[in-house]
Amino acid sequence: MQLTSKQHIASALAIASCSLIGQQAYAADPQLTQDDWKVDAAIMYYGEQDRVQAAEAIGNVQKAFGDTSLLDMKIVVDSLTGASASGAVAQAESQTFTRPSGKGEYTINAGDTPLDDTFHDTRVQLSANWQEVLNQDWTTNVGVYASKEFDYLSMGVNAGLERSLNKNNTTLSLSAAFTNDIVDPVGGRPMAMSQMVFRDNYESDADYQAAFDQTRLSGDDTKQTSDIMFGVTQILNRNWLMQANYGLSSVSGYMTDPYKILSEVDLNGQTQAYRYENRPDSRLKHSVFVMTKGALDSGVVDFSYRYSTDDWDIQSHTLETHYRYNLSPTMYAQLHLRYYQQQAAEFYQPFLLSGEDLPEYASADYRIGDMTAYTVGVKFGQRLSNGHEMSYRLEYYQQNPDNNGTVLPGQLQQYDLFPSVKAIVAQVSYSF
Amino acid sequence: MTKPISRKLTAPTAMSLQPRPWGFLGSFTAMASPCEILMQVSDEYVAKQMLTLAYDEARRIEQKFSRFIQGNAVWHLNHAQGESRLIDLETLHLLQFAEKCYVLSDTAFDISACPLMALWRFEGQHRIPEQAEIDDALSHVGFNRITFTNNTLTMPAGMSVDFGGIAKEYAVDRTAQLLAQRWPHAVLVNFGGDIACPVINKDGWQVGIENPHKLDNAAALLTIRQGALATSGNTRRYIEVAGKRYGHIINPKNGYPVEQAPLSVTVLAPNCVMAGMLATMSMLKGAQAEDFLQQQGVDFKVFRG
Repeated sequence: MQLTSKQHIASALAIASCSLIGQQAYAADPQLTQDDWKVDAAIMYYGEQDRVQAAEAIGNVQKAFGDTSLLDMKIVVDSLTGASASGAVAQAESQTFTRPSGKGEYTINAGDTPLDDTFHDTRVQLSANWQEVLNQDWTTNVGVYASKEFDYLSMGVNAGLERSLNKNNTTLSLSAAFTNDIVDPVGGRPMAMSQMVFRDNYESDADYQAAFDQTRLSGDDTKQTSDIMFGVTQILNRNWLMQANYGLSSVSGYMTDPYKILSEVDLNGQTQAYRYENRPDSRLKHSVFVMTKGALDSGVVDFSYRYSTDDWDIQSHTLETHYRYNLSPTMYAQLHLRYYQQQAAEFYQPFLLSGEDLPEYASADYRIGDMTAYTVGVKFGQRLSNGHEMSYRLEYYQQNPDNNGTVLPGQLQQYDLFPSVKAIVAQVSYSF
Repeated sequence: MTKPISRKLTAPTAMSLQPRPWGFLGSFTAMASPCEILMQVSDEYVAKQMLTLAYDEARRIEQKFSRFIQGNAVWHLNHAQGESRLIDLETLHLLQFAEKCYVLSDTAFDISACPLMALWRFEGQHRIPEQAEIDDALSHVGFNRITFTNNTLTMPAGMSVDFGGIAKEYAVDRTAQLLAQRWPHAVLVNFGGDIACPVINKDGWQVGIENPHKLDNAAALLTIRQGALATSGNTRRYIEVAGKRYGHIINPKNGYPVEQAPLSVTVLAPNCVMAGMLATMSMLKGAQAEDFLQQQGVDFKVFRG
């Protein structure tokens, strides 16, 4: 071969070899079809001290179709039992409550926080998501979601679009979701702020039932949720990336918890009546999330912060970190810390005072009150010789509700109206 | 052949990791070659992760591109019987590179030359092939008869492709790149003598080049801070018939071993694929190997018999 220029071949090879090896990372041979499937199975236990216990089974299947399409299907079945706080306050005497269904009663000992033990349900959640890489720069996804429990049906759709820029160092994403929920509470929806009735105050079952029905609205109600989220992910350098999201969520419809009540107390703190709570039928929520994630010599660490605010006046701050340490190429241990602080909704109040005008909206649900919460967790994962992965997670969660500044009258000062909720989460997962 | 200063490489059945004064030495066998990863790292866990990544990538490329594994990507191409077969992006990139080399070498480097190679296999053979056999093999050779698009490849029945002349160097570069993307530590990737050092090692790596006349003795010692080197000409494989030595570099134009080819050529270049291809092309030049390499302006070492 006659060389026209001295280094013709070397420079042509330099260019060709750089373009060959400079390509993106390749996945495993796509002809090995078993690699297209990824299955995760997990069982989880969630247990609050003296309260709700939940067992959950999670199945997740991912199937890749070529390099560009991914189908993700998930099923979650959980079963809940145990008691949850009804919203009523503790008293010096034992208290009797009519069950939400109107059928039967339950009694709480003197000095105890009233917990409604009617609570048990099974929930099935199904979701499917299709992701499609359109080209080097654009990725899109669409999904459907449904969840069913005895008194609740939720169905939703979502879609998203991602754009890669700057040699894949920057990703912009936009996603939207719409959910329609149908609520059909056991015993019907309570009339807002109506008083709980008791069998003992009536001559006959028929009279009682008529009075109970007076406090109820028949039929179901609905709730619509629209979410939109905008996100940016930026690779900072070889080891670190950063992500920021802004989310807007608008909810309208029935948001009252039909099983929550408020005690109406006099100036001595003595309960005079119980009333069913009522919440506004619209809510607009903004949230901002920032996270940074880094690859360390022997592990991965992330830190995140979320700020959320809404027109119910609930504001929250969440600080969270995960630190994963690779014990060996096939084993890792992970530490999880989370701190959460929340400011109460404007209509939150731990009880009503008798003699005062009834507010339009009120709830004593501790979950929308002032609170701090933290989680401490550990996880241990192991890759087995067949390539499957086994992991174990154990977490402790504690919620500390706080008084939002309400003056406690009389006997209420003797009781802990804002008891902590302590829970354990245990999970075993298997991926293959 | 080239090897770093750790001279003796027994073939371990799986990965092994040993501490060294400068860090860790990981070794395993892949692509029928002893493979080594030299890592300037103090943390053993990091070294293990790096070694595992290197092992996985070497095995992945071997599984996918070895001509000897039934059912893999190359097997499907070679058993297409004239039909079109789908190819993925990585295969396409290798084919594009092979095509470039075919053109640059004036058709001397040809990944479809396997039928000829098979005739000149050097395992206990003491005869040279008949002209009729060579002519028959030549009728099934020629990269220009292969057509490929972005996702399909079509070639006449009876033809086949062999990425063996590129895959090992490619695996070295890919592995080196993956390691360098993930960790900042100086590392040397050595798959059977094809070497890449993607991250600058201030102290330099000592690499020995074997003298083909005295195997297992380093004839030259190089210090590499960054870059790659590759060697062509496996000096342990040749046959002698009637006093004439036939090497394993076959000229696909006439079907005979290249005459006066060097015993081995080692080339230094920015990456291993480039070094390997320059070494192979210079072997195909026979007597002009040194002239060719000098014209390319690269550092090299040529051994002749």
